[in-house]
Amino acid sequence: MHQFQIHPIVPIHIGGYDFSFTNAALWMVISVGLVSAFTIFSMRGRAMVPGRWQSSVEIFYEFIANMVRDNAGHDARRFFPLVFTLFMFIFFANMIGLFPYAFTVTSHIIVTFALAGSIFLLVTITGFVLHGPKFLGLFVPHGVPAVLLPLVVGIEVISYISRPISHSVRLFANMLAGHITLKVFAGFIISFITGLGAIGWIAAILPLLMIVAITALEVLVGALQAYVFAILTCMYLRDALHPGH
Amino acid sequence: MRLSSEFVGGVLVGAGLGWGLDRIFGWHPIGLIVFLGLGTAAGVLNVIRATRELDAQRKGKDQ
Repeated sequence: MHQFQIHPIVPIHIGGYDFSFTNAALWMVISVGLVSAFTIFSMRGRAMVPGRWQSSVEIFYEFIANMVRDNAGHDARRFFPLVFTLFMFIFFANMIGLFPYAFTVTSHIIVTFALAGSIFLLVTITGFVLHGPKFLGLFVPHGVPAVLLPLVVGIEVISYISRPISHSVRLFANMLAGHITLKVFAGFIISFITGLGAIGWIAAILPLLMIVAITALEVLVGALQAYVFAILTCMYLRDALHPGH
Repeated sequence: MRLSSEFVGGVLVGAGLGWGLDRIFGWHPIGLIVFLGLGTAAGVLNVIRATRELDAQRKGKDQ
C-alpha cells in the first residue's frame, strides 16, 4: 500500500510536535495551485462571449451557484465562495489522484475529517450567531409529547453530532475503496504473468480491461463525491440559516 | 455507501458519548448502554432522513 504512505519532505518539528511538510501537503498545494491557475487564467479575458476556458469555469460557477440557491436558500449566497472552494478542491484532488504516481489526499480520513469538522463548526457557530439560543430549537421537533422529549432531544443531538463523521467517511471510503480496487486488479496482472507464464500473458488482458473500466468509473465517483460533499454542506448550512424545520 | 455511513456514524457517536460520560462520571457501564441505544436510534433517524431527501430529489427531477 505504498501509494497511501505519508512521508515528510521537509521535516519541521516545533515544541515536540511534527509539523513536517509531507507528500500529502505537497499534493494539497498542487490541487490548490491548479484550481487557482485554472480559474484565474481562464477568467483573464473576461469576455462577454466566453471562450473555451472561460466557459468551462463559468459552467463550474453556475453549477455551484444553482446548488447553493436550490439547497441552502437565497440568503446562503454569502457562503457561495466556501462551497465553491470546497467543491473545486475536492474535485481536483480526486482527479489528480487518478494519475499514476500521484497521491490522493482525499483517501486519508484525517483530510476529509478536517474539512467536514470545520464545516460542522462553521454551521454550529453560524446558527448560534444568527439565531442565538433559538438555534437549539433544531433539536426539539414539533408535536412531541413531553414524556418523550428528553429521549427525542438526545437522539437529535447525537444525530447532529454524527454529521461530520458520515460527511467525512463517505468521501474517504469511496476514494480509498476505488484506489484499493485498482491496486488489487493491477496485482492480478503481475501474479498471472509470473505464475502462469505464456497463458498468464493472455489471461492478464482481462484484469487490464477491468482496470481501464474501473478508472473510468473512478472519474465518475471522484466527481460525484465532490458533488455530494458540496451538496451536504449546503444542506447543513440551510439548517443553520433556517432552523425552523 | 451513503446510508451505511449515516447509520454507523450515529452508532459510533452514541457509543463515544456514552463511553466519555462513563469516564467523566464513573457510571460504568450505564452511560455506554443508554447512549448506544440512543445512538442506534439516531442512526436509524439519519437513514430515514437521507432516504427522504433522496426521494425528494427524485421527485424534483421527475416534475
